Amino acid sequence: MRALNPQAPLNEEKHRWFLDPKWLIIIAIVGFLLVFQVFPLVYLVFRAFFSTGTFSLEAFKRVYTYPLNWSALTNTVVAATFSMIFGVLIAFPLAWLVGRTNLYGKKFFRTLFVATYMVPPYVGAMAWMRLLNPTVGSMNMFLQKIFNLGSAPFDIYTMGGLIWVLTGFYYPYAFITISRAMEKMDPSLEEASRISGASPLTTLRTITLPMMLPSIVAAALLVFVAAGSCYGIPSIIGVPGQIHTVTTRIIDFVYIGSQEGLTDATTLAVFLMLIANVVLYLSTFSIGKKQYITVSGKSTRPNIVDLGRWRIPITALVIIFALVVVIIPFVTVALSSITVNLGESVFAEGNITWRYWERIFTRKSIINSARNSLVSAVMAATFGLLVSCMMAYLLVRTNIKGKKIPDFMITVGSGTPSVVIALSLIMSMSGKFGINIYNTLTIMVIAYMIKYMMMGMRTVVSALTQISPSLEEASQISGASWLRSMKNVTLPLIAPALVAGWFLIFMPCFYELTMSTLLYSTNTKTLGYELYTYQTYHNQQTASALATAILFTVFGINWLLNKLTDGEFSI
Amino acid sequence: MSNIIIKDVKKAFGEVVVLSQFNAEFADGEFITLLGPSGCGKTTMLRMLAGFEKPTEGEIYIGDQDVSSPKNFVPPERRDIGMVFQSYAVWPHMTVFENVAYPLKMKKMGKQEIKKHVEEVLETVHLSQYAQRIPSQLSGGQQQRVALARALVAKPRLLLLDEPLSNLDAKLRDSMRFEIKEIQKQLGITVVYVTHDQMEAMTMSDRVIVINKGVIQQVGAPTEIYRHPANQFVADFVGKINFLKATSKDKVLTLAQSGQTLPYEGPLKGDVVIGIRPENIRLVSIKGDFEGTLVSKFYLGDVNDCRIDLGGELIRVIAEPTTFDVCEVGQSFNLRIDEFTVFEDTGEDEHTKILT
Repeated sequence: MRALNPQAPLNEEKHRWFLDPKWLIIIAIVGFLLVFQVFPLVYLVFRAFFSTGTFSLEAFKRVYTYPLNWSALTNTVVAATFSMIFGVLIAFPLAWLVGRTNLYGKKFFRTLFVATYMVPPYVGAMAWMRLLNPTVGSMNMFLQKIFNLGSAPFDIYTMGGLIWVLTGFYYPYAFITISRAMEKMDPSLEEASRISGASPLTTLRTITLPMMLPSIVAAALLVFVAAGSCYGIPSIIGVPGQIHTVTTRIIDFVYIGSQEGLTDATTLAVFLMLIANVVLYLSTFSIGKKQYITVSGKSTRPNIVDLGRWRIPITALVIIFALVVVIIPFVTVALSSITVNLGESVFAEGNITWRYWERIFTRKSIINSARNSLVSAVMAATFGLLVSCMMAYLLVRTNIKGKKIPDFMITVGSGTPSVVIALSLIMSMSGKFGINIYNTLTIMVIAYMIKYMMMGMRTVVSALTQISPSLEEASQISGASWLRSMKNVTLPLIAPALVAGWFLIFMPCFYELTMSTLLYSTNTKTLGYELYTYQTYHNQQTASALATAILFTVFGINWLLNKLTDGEFSI
Repeated sequence: MSNIIIKDVKKAFGEVVVLSQFNAEFADGEFITLLGPSGCGKTTMLRMLAGFEKPTEGEIYIGDQDVSSPKNFVPPERRDIGMVFQSYAVWPHMTVFENVAYPLKMKKMGKQEIKKHVEEVLETVHLSQYAQRIPSQLSGGQQQRVALARALVAKPRLLLLDEPLSNLDAKLRDSMRFEIKEIQKQLGITVVYVTHDQMEAMTMSDRVIVINKGVIQQVGAPTEIYRHPANQFVADFVGKINFLKATSKDKVLTLAQSGQTLPYEGPLKGDVVIGIRPENIRLVSIKGDFEGTLVSKFYLGDVNDCRIDLGGELIRVIAEPTTFDVCEVGQSFNLRIDEFTVFEDTGEDEHTKILT
């Protein structure tokens, strides 16, 4: 060909390098991420070391020798470590019971545990504060009464309390990861062990557990980072008990508002970022490669372990767990929203009211915040999904060299703690470098996209992977253009994934608290922040009503998603 | 010692009955194949023998021990069975040696003894030099043999094989077929083998059980099943066959379309279906049973695959390769039928097509 037509390769070369829209897409995405993610983060690190204009560790010295900061660091590490350990210790047996045994109501439990994943973390903190407050906590009072105790058995405003709430909120991360790995494991590996003479328990110990180890470690690290970079829970539970964490300290420093405050916040944020990135590296690049690939030859139903006489006791145990960790907290929050006097039982004379519900639907500031949240979440989800689709196409359908770069950047973005993302955006996007979007909804949308876009991208990528390119080719060979083929064949096939991906970005943005707390202005308050201020400063019942409304919205959307996509997608 | 009795076994998942009224008896040392299309219930039967599934009804005895009945159920780990899975199920986190040693370790055997037994069985499957490898470093065929070694090492009283060759390529499949048969003869072990491949079933088995839609169609030696299929399904599933609609009257079969006739001594009267295997039809110049015109021919090397029109019915004939050169399309032939089977016409058109 080359000899026959010397012009063609040249043209092709030109085409590939200068005109291919794929490159434009990559450049656009990379450019966006460079400006709004990479540059701010790099600047953050730079600021931490060059706070005075020249290189100095002054800021580090100041920040890390200050006892309150030091204790915040240790608190964060301790809380995250214990949440990780307990989270996995809870998640693995649950995943095994739900996936591999004849536990009663497995499906229900599965849905229930996964559902906790979508609940904003601060809702759990609010609930446990009401339940285990050392003086008026309703569960405390209840336990005191039945066991005839002199004082309240639990105090939520302690390290133990913090770990308890963090665990209750982040074990679903581990549960989902481990469950998925367990589903993917070829059941005949376990059957081979049984037929070799191993009891179910020996099989669990010698086959299932070692095979699952990489996933368990990955799940543990996920919980560690999530718990360590959580703001909602420690701000509600930790602060009243003088238990500071890195996230609450960072936000305190930012609120101080001075240059020194910002520098101190930056320095702490660098620590958090470092931990998160090391963990991200470990779990995706190191452990990720060690995953045992166990593709099943055919899909047999997994061998269900008969729990025998333990079936009822274990089911009862799981029910108690679900009641304590999921049901009671949600019910508590819901009931708080209709209680006049939180010191008394909701069923006491004249203690029920709908006025807080009325308030959340009529008060102007709340409606404004809700609108802000809705707008920014819709924008983040829409733009995020657009980027996701383009990325998915690049990753799955093309062999372009640079396609891994934006993928990597998006992964890093979602692995970076929210506090760090928001802080880096504040520092770099408030006019210092020619872009001033501080105090606008735009900065909110960008922050949300950086943090949550990956969920959408992964969903679309995996959907597109399952569609053979020959389906598109068959359409093209039948005479349809590339664009028409996309519209007629590809789009309808991945439509459910698109819907799911959109909501996966939308939901966490809709009730987001951490980044909003740092990025809001008087005109751009969000629902999460509004709820937080009501909870901390004004009126807990209103906050509870808001939280309950958010919960209903989230579960409603999930239900809808399930219906729309024929049960293929829900979170 | 390790004969097996399956008595009135039925298996249903909820409403769906996958196996109904399974009755069979396997002798000690026998090689039994459960043959049938996918979804016929053969794997379910095997899994019930292994103890991974509980029969909904019925009893299973292995070597006179009641392993499964309404009042008794022995879990897989206490059945003393070896099994090779379709996906091999070789544990990726253990070496070949550890994989094979596992069943012995479960029996709490001493280290020295384990070593001796494992080396012995690895020798049998030609894997001695791979003992310290991890499975991902082995080819599919080698992993297959690890699985076989692991299934054999504890000298089980029964060996179950669940489509063990279906993931191997054609050449390897051929040689593994003979190897498995060889090992079985050597050890004199009872084997139950599940496959949908009739070639595997024919070459290895002492007896074949043909299953369709959860119902046993025929039990017999390979030759019996091939030459005297009990019904159209078996005839169709095992080998190639032409089905011709005809009527039987006064010891004569008259073809429905062409009206050609064939003498018949059997008991069936009225509407019937004649089953003729393509290799049982010979092209002759005189004294044929049928007359027909050659419609098409395909040269396959070892044989010549022809379609012949009988004047309404189109039949497939496997002829000698030399016929390819001498026969012309459009030419008329006499056909001699060496062997045929007559079935009652059940009215089901499912099998009455010529190409299988």
